[in-house]
Amino acid sequence: MRTAPFEVRLKPYGTALVDLAREREDILCLSGDLTRQCEVDLFREAFPDRFINGGMAEANLVGMAGGLARRGYMPFLHTFGVFATRRAYDQVAMAVAYPNLPVRLVGFMPGVSSPGGPSHQATDDVALMRALPNMTVVEVADATETRQVVAEIADLPGPVYLRLKRGEIPVLFDDDHRVDLRQAQVLRRAERPGGVVLVASGMMVAAAAAACDVLEDHGVPTTLVNVSAIKPLDAATILDAVASADLVVTAENHSVVGGLGSAVADVLAQAGSTPPLRMIGLQDVFASGGKAATRLFERYGLSTSDLVWAAWAGLGLAAPAPKVVPPPVTDETYAPV
Amino acid sequence: MEEASSEDQLDPARELAHAIRLRSARMVARHGFGYLGQALSSAETFGVLAAHWWRPGRDDLVISPGHYIICAYAIGVELGLMDEAALETYGEDGSTLEAIGTESSPVVDLTCGSLGQGLSGAVGFALAARLDGEPRRTYAFISDGELQEGQTWEAATFAGHHHLDGLTVLLDANNSQVDGPIDTITTIEPIADRWRSFGWDAFDVDGHDVGALHGAIDQAVASERPAVVIARTSTLRGIDALPVDADGHFIKLPPEVADAAITELEGR
Repeated sequence: MRTAPFEVRLKPYGTALVDLAREREDILCLSGDLTRQCEVDLFREAFPDRFINGGMAEANLVGMAGGLARRGYMPFLHTFGVFATRRAYDQVAMAVAYPNLPVRLVGFMPGVSSPGGPSHQATDDVALMRALPNMTVVEVADATETRQVVAEIADLPGPVYLRLKRGEIPVLFDDDHRVDLRQAQVLRRAERPGGVVLVASGMMVAAAAAACDVLEDHGVPTTLVNVSAIKPLDAATILDAVASADLVVTAENHSVVGGLGSAVADVLAQAGSTPPLRMIGLQDVFASGGKAATRLFERYGLSTSDLVWAAWAGLGLAAPAPKVVPPPVTDETYAPV
Repeated sequence: MEEASSEDQLDPARELAHAIRLRSARMVARHGFGYLGQALSSAETFGVLAAHWWRPGRDDLVISPGHYIICAYAIGVELGLMDEAALETYGEDGSTLEAIGTESSPVVDLTCGSLGQGLSGAVGFALAARLDGEPRRTYAFISDGELQEGQTWEAATFAGHHHLDGLTVLLDANNSQVDGPIDTITTIEPIADRWRSFGWDAFDVDGHDVGALHGAIDQAVASERPAVVIARTSTLRGIDALPVDADGHFIKLPPEVADAAITELEGR
């Protein structure tokens, strides 16, 4: 794994979808009036006959996707995550999840990565999609995983919700890294017992990696787990990772109600005799707007510092927690807040 | 296109409509209540469609309001698509024939219990047929109550814009919903003009007149646009034994009324 600041890529998803569609004629691209924002202007140019723009009508778009899937097509449906899930929830449940159809719901702009206010922030999308039987819920951490995950989800049975960052996508992983939807990935394993296990998904993986560095530098054994498939969650890897730890901290760009933290809590509670858990994420609030997403990550407790503090306090270490010094960022690079 | 049909040519539709009423009455009678009004209002619509237009296994059939699925079960037996004995399990524990349509419902290609969703699925079918370059048609049965759901109009907008002429909608306008007559709750008229304004052809007919229905469906199928046949109907049609004030959405059928209704139908 690289270290921040990370170089960024544009349209890794849109490029990968076009590549896959060249090989697979069953793939259709559906858009809800957010074509460029969801990187599928590339698909529209490459395969105009297989591109369907449903306009601002998500309920109908999801219902059409269900009909197309019943007739042998694999619709990839694109809009912002908040509209793909909350806006059309009953349609996703009844037209896609219940009949277990191979529709891929691709929701951009997760959590507080948008300063557009609660109407545009997908802060409960993971919780909503996790609650649906048959649904696989995927979130990836960087451009390398984004590029790979498109082909990976195409081969999964049933419906998939794929949660993607919009815009400049950082490169955390080199090309030899493989995204894994069957297993949670232990990116760094503490070499000594005790300490903390950080379990992160999506945009919070970069923050968790930075927190991992700070904690290790200050003598805290730290394990870092990257979760790509939030559902079904790989319980075995998580239980193995926490076996010798004193604390678990989850990190998600999402509400702590029903998301990654809740999923990990389910696993830990059912296993019993596991370390205490702290959840980094939106603490059951709607996030007010701001000029930049970075300010929202700070204001709502989603920064690297918040992760370090949660680990430090959770382990009962003496205050103050170590200070996080963010790396310098240019317009061409990305670093977590 | 078929010529306006003679009375004899429409007999299969009439017989199918009669069978839908009788088989539905028997299914609902076992429970003492149920979705019989839906069968009574739509019997001729389904009768004409299944006897003259819909080609099972080739054309797609959507019954959007799952409360009408009882009609599919009756048609399925009449056309030899399912076993008659299965009707005795209607609505029973463990049966695949649930009272409100599900994924296990036979005969149809899609049914929805959550109202207003079926037309979108039908649009998906019609799009798929177009992409496949196949002359497969999509018949979508919807109800007037579903015109209260916004999604119906989202789907109508899309189909109108894309001139999905492979799509024909049969709309049962029985003016019945759970809380009473639709027109006492919200105004959904003028139904035909509303569809026309979305780029559809619309044909407004007496939904118990098989000749009128046949002519309208004929024109709807021939249309170069998506088209809707609005069938004006009554949920109590065809069984005089039902009380005139019966709740057409969910008809109560105590044994004495059930016996009278079934005897009446068997006598025809």
